[in-house]
Amino acid sequence: MKWKQFFTPVKSISSSEAKGMVEQDGDDVILLDVRQPQEYEAAHLPGALLIPLGELDERLDELDPDKSIIVY
Amino acid sequence: MLSGKGFNKLYNMSGGIKGWQSEVAIGDADRGLELFDGALTTEDALIIGFGLETGLRDFYLSMIETVTSEEAKKMFTMLADIEILHQDRIVELYTEVSEKPISKEEFLAKEVLPAMEGGLSVEEYTSRFQPDMENEIDILSLALSIEAQALDLYSRAAQNATKPGVAEIFLTIASEERTHINHLTDYISRIS
Repeated sequence: MKWKQFFTPVKSISSSEAKGMVEQDGDDVILLDVRQPQEYEAAHLPGALLIPLGELDERLDELDPDKSIIVY
Repeated sequence: MLSGKGFNKLYNMSGGIKGWQSEVAIGDADRGLELFDGALTTEDALIIGFGLETGLRDFYLSMIETVTSEEAKKMFTMLADIEILHQDRIVELYTEVSEKPISKEEFLAKEVLPAMEGGLSVEEYTSRFQPDMENEIDILSLALSIEAQALDLYSRAAQNATKPGVAEIFLTIASEERTHINHLTDYISRIS
């Protein structure tokens, strides 16, 4: 099963493309900030959800798999 | 980590936050959420939102008396007037969701929170941006930052909402804030 992640493509998008997605379909887009809390506190994308990378595995239930997730 | 675990619409934003060319928000993930502690219903959420719009309008009105240049006074007057439109939109939303609509006057009579839009205080906004309150672009940039902070606050409030319908109403207000940001951005582009 772990092999599956290697075959699931993660598309890279530019910040302007990300902004366009949020503006067009904001309710169905999650901006996911995986940095550390102090980095988030200093500046983050408006509306971003903070889940530090080290906690992501345990907090997947906070993410809706039906939504587009933009990770930074 | 997310790929292969049921998350199929994944995107990596290249360049991270450094590549983001728009407004950012500040503060920890819980910042300002205490303002919504009493939001047990969609109506509560809207009343709180209205109070925050009122707080921002009061700030702009107070600045009209503070600044000296006519251009700055006009700018703060325009921003204060825009907040009336935002308040009206919240009253409209209230009418849409509530079985007992109330008038704008009744909204205004309710307790106004000791904070303004975005959940930061006037001092926090001004110390963060240190705007020249006599400069039109600085004033508009401050307004833009406040709207971005508001978008952030409502989005986080939606993420934390547990009562039926409350998350949806926060997302609706957040969407309104996104529209406000676009209007302000367009306006800044036109005059700068």
